Amino acid sequence: MVVRRVLPQFIVSLVIILMLIFYFFYINDDVAKTFSADDKALSDWAVIISSFALIVGGVDIFRFHLTQLRRGGLKQAPFSVVTLIAELTMVVFGAYGLALSYLNPALGITITTQPQFRWLYTYVYAPSDSAMYSILVFYIASASYRAFRVRNPMALLLLIVAIIVMLGNTSLGALIWPGFLPLRDWIMTIPNTAAFRPITIGAGLGVIILGLRMLVWREVSWMGRRE
Amino acid sequence: MSFLSKVEKVLSARELLYTLLLVAVIAPILSPIGLPIGISSRTRDVYNYIENNLKPGCHVYVEVYYEVAARGELEPALMALTKQFFDKGCKIVYGSLISTGPIVFSLMLAGAPDIFAGKEYGKDYVFLGYISGGESAAASLAKSIKGTVKVDNYGNPLETLPLMKEVDSATDFDLVVIVSSGTDTFNYYVRQWYTPYHTPLLFAALSVIAPSIEPFVGAKQAIGMIVGQRGAAEYELLVGRKGLGIASMDAQSISHLLIIVFIVLGNVVYWGMRVTSRGGGRK
Repeated sequence: MVVRRVLPQFIVSLVIILMLIFYFFYINDDVAKTFSADDKALSDWAVIISSFALIVGGVDIFRFHLTQLRRGGLKQAPFSVVTLIAELTMVVFGAYGLALSYLNPALGITITTQPQFRWLYTYVYAPSDSAMYSILVFYIASASYRAFRVRNPMALLLLIVAIIVMLGNTSLGALIWPGFLPLRDWIMTIPNTAAFRPITIGAGLGVIILGLRMLVWREVSWMGRRE
Repeated sequence: MSFLSKVEKVLSARELLYTLLLVAVIAPILSPIGLPIGISSRTRDVYNYIENNLKPGCHVYVEVYYEVAARGELEPALMALTKQFFDKGCKIVYGSLISTGPIVFSLMLAGAPDIFAGKEYGKDYVFLGYISGGESAAASLAKSIKGTVKVDNYGNPLETLPLMKEVDSATDFDLVVIVSSGTDTFNYYVRQWYTPYHTPLLFAALSVIAPSIEPFVGAKQAIGMIVGQRGAAEYELLVGRKGLGIASMDAQSISHLLIIVFIVLGNVVYWGMRVTSRGGGRK
């Protein structure tokens, strides 16, 4: 109970209080400098922890797909095999690059500049990633055709705005009517901002409330608990 | 089956739309039409800000935060901005809070030898590489770059790079450019760089992201924004370097027009069928 629940919550509360003091409180320049240095130290811890979290993530993917291979059946097996081989290959070449950067720094080779790692990334990952994203154009076009049905006045308004923004984004729009571009800019800066600003403010308030709940130990979902 | 039903069936066939879309994207790239590109006041404002406010020797921090998938839309803007900064005599520190940063940066470097010609690494520009930690890393970098990372992307200690002797914290930079395919990155820099240090920010965003970060520009927390393919093409025109942004504009225009034609035709058929069915009902 103490180790699994009280201690983590105490650490979180302490960090929140310290961050608030470091950021908002001003006593004098010397104290401010100390606070700033301490604030930076806390941020650096977060950077280091998140770096280690990446390793945990990699190990977790590996373990997950090993389990899938054992229990997932033949349907899942090819995907898990590809994932495991891809991960292992990238890790091996990445580790080789990392080792070279320490053993022979004069070569100027690091993880991302290791030739095989880079080749795999540029000629295997990059085209696959681009292709996946490009396929979206077909789905979006198909979905637009089906979704933009003028069934009521609001749908008509949505369609008109969509067409103005689409034509404003193209060079063809200006040829049809030069007003499309300034009209698109007006839609983006005035009605769009009016709609998004409350969302942004709401999200900000939500973060403050979440912080307060964590501070007073009311928020426990981050520990994987429901209450 | 009525005529309108037949048209509806033809238009609804995904194969037709997909084939036409494929042609609409590929044909203009293979054989450019050269549609004129007007420059929007927003893009011109960004260009003018840099022209009027950045002096030779100024320092710019550029966040390279996108995956390869977003390269087509964001890289032209990054290249055009880099050209303008170098033309102005600015020095650039690149960094990346996304793991794909080092690769997309190297692709950008390989695709713009003319921009980086005559520029010396370490003196005119530096690439810090990937820095994990998201917003915490952004906060830490704002306080001290050298206190956050010890070596650059290529393993060089930062103390040995002349440019890094000139800059270290957010207040040392005259402008911060965030070229990002994600929404959160813009929030990080507004919260960790602009709010505490008032370092001017400039956004280069995907068209789909732009609406959600528009409030920051409206509130003057950023000096402006270059939006998507069109913004990149406009910027390429302004800096006088024709690249992928301009080359893709014809394809974007034709494909958008095709989608609009399909939407309009779909509605004409939809309403035609509704009116016809009502008329039939009265009879």
